[in-house]
Amino acid sequence: MSETSPEEARRLAEGARERVRFEEEALALADQVYRVARGVSRSKEEAEDLMQEAYARAFRSWRSYTPGTNLRAWLLRILTNLNIDRGRRAQRAPDQTPLEESDYFLYNRLEAATGETEEDRVLQRLSQDHVAEALASVPHDFRDVVVLVDIGDFSYADAAQILDIPIGTVMSRLHRGRRILKKELAELAVDA
Amino acid sequence: MTAADPCDWCEEVLQPYLDRELTDAEMREAESHLDSCSYCRKRYRFEEGLRRYVRQAALEPMAPALKQRLSELRLEL
Repeated sequence: MSETSPEEARRLAEGARERVRFEEEALALADQVYRVARGVSRSKEEAEDLMQEAYARAFRSWRSYTPGTNLRAWLLRILTNLNIDRGRRAQRAPDQTPLEESDYFLYNRLEAATGETEEDRVLQRLSQDHVAEALASVPHDFRDVVVLVDIGDFSYADAAQILDIPIGTVMSRLHRGRRILKKELAELAVDA
Repeated sequence: MTAADPCDWCEEVLQPYLDRELTDAEMREAESHLDSCSYCRKRYRFEEGLRRYVRQAALEPMAPALKQRLSELRLEL
């Protein structure tokens, strides 16, 4: 075996440093990535599996990340792609049920049910469990967009890039996804 | 059942306004509308509160054991 030249050794050491830096930055974002993973998963266990799969893949393909670009978006692109690959897309066909009611029917329904008119009081009718359960009921395609924008705080453009869909699709799925979420919340909080 | 919204603005602009996706000029227009329309102001407060709720629902922290497992996935040097 030939000895490593000093130049080769320097190159290897630099590569190792870059990789360690990448891994540390990726791990520092894990809490934020987990919030999205939890939002797109139906259970804590499913979210944890998805996180491990996504991080294993990210660590393997670290060279395809361009330093200085948005690492959180890069990690979430891996995570959402894995989630789609896992076949969740097939679990439930996109909801085609017409949602005729206005965007504010949830408010109107809660207001009618509580007799309250103050926004904060009306919202108290909803519990965190209701939100988690309603979110889990939103079909996958719509839920991914709602979770990225409403929980991950991504712009429409970033969400489009992460999910590899046009920005117009992000907007229409967001619009519909939020309405489905509200419909589910109304059913859980008012009709139950 | 719900009556039609008395203000079309809410339906079209409130969500992108809350998403901070409007241009500066549109933002100014939106703010000026919110100042003058009590219906939209009420809806704005509700929608903003609802988003806070949704965000909080996802605040369940990651288990320390998972953090440890992710760290162990790092490639060996």
